Order: sequence, then C-alpha cells, then structure tokens
Amino acid sequence: MEAVCLDTHPHILLAEDDEALRDLLDFTLTRAGYLVSCCTNGLDLLERLAEGDPFDLVITDLRMPALTGLEVLESQLDNQQSVPFICMTAFGDRKTHEQAELFGAAAIIDKPFDLDEMIELVRTTSLRNPHQAKP
Amino acid sequence: MRLTVKITVAVLLGIALIFSIFSYYSIQREREQLKTSLSREARHLGESLRVMVTEIWQQRGEREALAFLQRANQVHGETLVRWVWVEKEAPEKYLPRVPIDQLDDLYDEETVALLAASAEGRDYLLTYLPLVIDGHRIGAIELSESMDEMHDYVEESLRRSAMVIGAMVISSLLLMGVLGSLWVNRPMRRLRAQAERIGTGDFSTSLNLSGGDELADLGNTIERMRAQLAEAREAEQAANQAKIEALEKLRHTERLATLGKLSAGMAHELGTPLNVISGRAKLINSANLPAEDVTRSAKIIGEQVERMTNIMRQLLSFARRGEARKQQVELNTVLRSVTPLLEPSRKEKKVEVILHEAKQPLYVSADPGQLQQVLLNLALNGIQAMNDGGRLELEACSEREVKPPETVNSTVESWYSLLIRDQGSGINTEDLAHIFDPFFTTKEVGQGTGLGLSIAYGIIEEHGGWINVESSLGKGSCFTVYLPAAEAGENQ
Repeated sequence: MEAVCLDTHPHILLAEDDEALRDLLDFTLTRAGYLVSCCTNGLDLLERLAEGDPFDLVITDLRMPALTGLEVLESQLDNQQSVPFICMTAFGDRKTHEQAELFGAAAIIDKPFDLDEMIELVRTTSLRNPHQAKP
Repeated sequence: MRLTVKITVAVLLGIALIFSIFSYYSIQREREQLKTSLSREARHLGESLRVMVTEIWQQRGEREALAFLQRANQVHGETLVRWVWVEKEAPEKYLPRVPIDQLDDLYDEETVALLAASAEGRDYLLTYLPLVIDGHRIGAIELSESMDEMHDYVEESLRRSAMVIGAMVISSLLLMGVLGSLWVNRPMRRLRAQAERIGTGDFSTSLNLSGGDELADLGNTIERMRAQLAEAREAEQAANQAKIEALEKLRHTERLATLGKLSAGMAHELGTPLNVISGRAKLINSANLPAEDVTRSAKIIGEQVERMTNIMRQLLSFARRGEARKQQVELNTVLRSVTPLLEPSRKEKKVEVILHEAKQPLYVSADPGQLQQVLLNLALNGIQAMNDGGRLELEACSEREVKPPETVNSTVESWYSLLIRDQGSGINTEDLAHIFDPFFTTKEVGQGTGLGLSIAYGIIEEHGGWINVESSLGKGSCFTVYLPAAEAGENQ
C-alpha cells in the first residue's frame, strides 16, 4: 500500500495490549497515511477519548487488562459525537460479535487478519463516516 | 416360651381350676345328699324301734326293753343300736358317744343327728331319738352308722375327677399343639422369614397367608409394606439413575466448557502472534520497505515464533503432563530447595522471603520435581503480586483437622500442607473462581499464559491433594497446598 501524503491526516486511536501487534498496526497504518495514537489498555483508551481529542476512528482489541474494549465501547453508547470503532477479537464467537454490534461497533475483525484487509476496513469505515476526511 | 405353649398352659390352668371347683361342689353336694338319706333311714329305723322299745318298757320293764335293743342290733348289721342315758352320771356303758352338751335338743324331745369321729379316726353318723322314762329321766336310742361307704364314694368321685382332668389336659395339649402349629406357628414362621427377607433388602418374594385371622391381616400389611418398599426402591433407583445421567451430562457440558475456554484462550494467545507474524511477513514482502524495518520485522517474527513455541510447550505440559515419579519427599527440604530460585525475582520486586519450617520432618509421597514446580509457580505469583515490595512467607506444617473438599475423593485423615502467603494486591471474588481455569490470567500480555495455576492444580490433584486459596483485595493472598501424609510405614 502506498503512503499518500495529504494536508489533513485522519487521526486513528489504536488500543492494543500486545506490543508486537500494536507496533505492527502503528507502523502499517502510519505508512498508509494515517495519524496514529496508541494506548495499551482499556482504561488508557477511555481516558484518551474523554480528553476530547478529535479522533476519526478507534481501533481496539476487545480483550485487554484493566478495562475491556467492549466496556469502553459500551461507555460510548450515549455519546452523540462518538467515533466509529473497529473491534479486533480473537474470540470469534457469535456472542462477542453480537455484543460488539449491539454496542455500536462499526466493524469487527477476527484475529489473525490480513493487513490489507485491515487497511481496507479502515478506509471504508472512514468513508462511511461523513464528518471525516479521507487519507 | 412359645406363644402357643403359653396360651395352652393358661387355658388348661383355667379349665382345671373351673373343673376342680365344679368337682368339689359336686362331691360336697353328693356327700350331703348321702348323709341326708342315711340320716333319714336311721331315723325311720329309730322311730320303729322307739315305738317298740316304749311298749316293751311299759309292759315288761327296762331289762326286757334293753335286751330287745341288743337283739335288734344283730338284725341291722350296718347300723349299731344301743341305749343311752342323757345324764352325766350315767354308767359308762350307757353314755352317748358324743358329749352330752351337743345333745341339748333331746331335752326338748327332738331327734338329733350329727357326724362324729371315733378314736380310730373313723366317721360315724349318729342319730339320737329321745325317750322320756318315768316322766323325768331322759334316755335315747343311739343309732350309729359307719361313714366308710360315703368316704369310699367321695374317694371314687375324686379319682374320677382327677382322671377326667388328666385326660382333658392331655387331649387339650395334643389338640392345641396341632392346631397351634397349624394356626399360629406356621404362619408366624412365614411372617418372620418374610420380615427378615425385607430386612435384608429382598423385596422379590410375596407372602400370601390364607384365612381371615389377625395373622393373615398382619401378613397383608407386611405384603403392602413390601410392595411400597419395592416401589420406593425402584423410584429411588430411577431417581439415582436420572441423577447419574444428569451428572454425566453436566460433566460433559463442563468438559465442553473447559474445551471452549481452552480454545478461546488458545485463539487469543496464538491469534495475536500469528497476526504479527503474517503482518510482518507481508511488510517484508512489500516494496519500498527500508532495510532496517525489514531486519526489525524479521527479528519480531523470530520473537513471536518463540512466544508461540513457548505457549505450545506449556500447553503440551498441561495436556500431556508426564507420569509423576513419586518418592519420599520431605516438605521442609522442598521449601529450602525453592528459595534460591526465587532470588532474582525477589530482588527485582524488593520482596522479603521468610521460611517457616515444620519442627519435625514431614514426609509425603510425591514427585520432587513437580512439587518444586508447583511451589515455585505459587511463590513467583506471590512475588509478582507485590508491586510495592512486601513479605512472602513459605510454611510447611501438618494439618490433622482439615477436611478435604467434596471434589477430592479421599479417605486420608492425615494431611500435610505448604502455605504460600503474600502481601500483594489480592484477587477479587469473581477472578477467584477462575484462577485454576486454563488460560485464565489477569497479567499483561506476555507476562503469563494463564496455564501455571492450572498446571499446579493438576499436579497436586494427581498427588491426591488440593489447593486452597484465601484472598482479600489489597491485603494479599494465601495459597495452601494440601498433600496426604505418607503412611508411617513409608517414613524413612
């Protein structure tokens, strides 16, 4: 995937407790032209969201220490200005999917996933979101 | 004493008593009748004699009259007739056989009849008929009759009564013996046998007592009880069967749940490194990746592979834990062997490790390597739970009073234990229920696979023991490993 440089880079908030995967996604998404901020657990993610920075997209793992991705997602249900969430899960069971959908996840992706697939998902999710710029 | 015999004896005693009373009164009555009839005869004879004696006395004088009486004596062999004067001063020859006091009625010219015994003990019936001589002297004709006949008759009656009673007793005994056996003993034996069968849990044989008596009623009641017991047992067996099936289903469900947890854990543990590896490989494969990033990616791939290998190894040790090679192990020795291994972690976390050895050696039958692994695992967990330093206590002691949980099927009464007590963050109640589940972890990714405690529990379970946990948030946790004490004979 080619890196496209634009004046306004969509800002992605990435939450993943596994350092290797976090690095990989950070590296790949940055290369794809996004601005990426990272956090290592659910609590961190919630704090960053509460700070009010204008993130365009959240990519979060569902199973994380302190606070799970699902709990963070649930806490954003009442938020009118909520950003779209892409949830990554290793528990590909229907229940987790249904819960994530119920809490308003924009997309759910099962681990292990293909990086191109992830980039495509980020692109389409961003496209669907009207108040966001494209990379 | 048998019931039949008791009843027979009671009935016979009753019969004998009634018959004896009846016989007694019969004999008495007959005796009275005999006496009356004898007395009447004597009186008739006396009346006739009196008329004749009076005439002879008046016409020929005393001598002739007394001679007449003497002669009359020879005619009436059974009855002795003599003349008596009812006077105390009379010559002995003419004195009555009984004292004169008893003959007062003679003064009123009334006939007196009475029974008297002779000096030889023979009974006589005496009849006195008064006769007034010369207007003032009272004399009497004495008729005495031996009562021997009556005695013979009474004896005969008594003998007959005794024979009848004897015959009755014997025939009653025979009859009641036969009937008692038929009506009481036999059904009683059958009832007892049936009761004993039911007592031993044999409900298969039914009992049918014929007849409508109380024993048959009892038999019917026992029969109903047998049927109800058999029914109850069948119901219980069915319920037990259902329970076993339900338990089996539950176990199956639990196995599936464990498998589910295991799969989910594996998916998470292996999914993430797989994701990293595939991503890094793709990056390397893509064009325009700076050389240093290629190197870094390759290095990361190597690390992730190693991480997966680690997980696989632990998983294998979880699934195919080798057979425990048990031998005599002393718990204080195990404690001491673990301490040096804790040194690096202890220093890093600034934790003080304190050993409390038991006063006497505690021998258990265990695989020393596996036991060390369990203790090390629990001790390291304890150290890792203490982020701000603290004290880790390791203790060996003998627990005589402890009762194993229901999941531990053991008859062992003597237990030894290893205590691992930390002052760490503690475990919340929700997590406490899952800490022995495979892949359950509260640690950061890469810090633990969640298999350690599960493996530890499996090892202790295999040694016939169990692990108990007590924890309070913010204060620390205490893990206790219970192991059956080696039998006295095994001690070294």
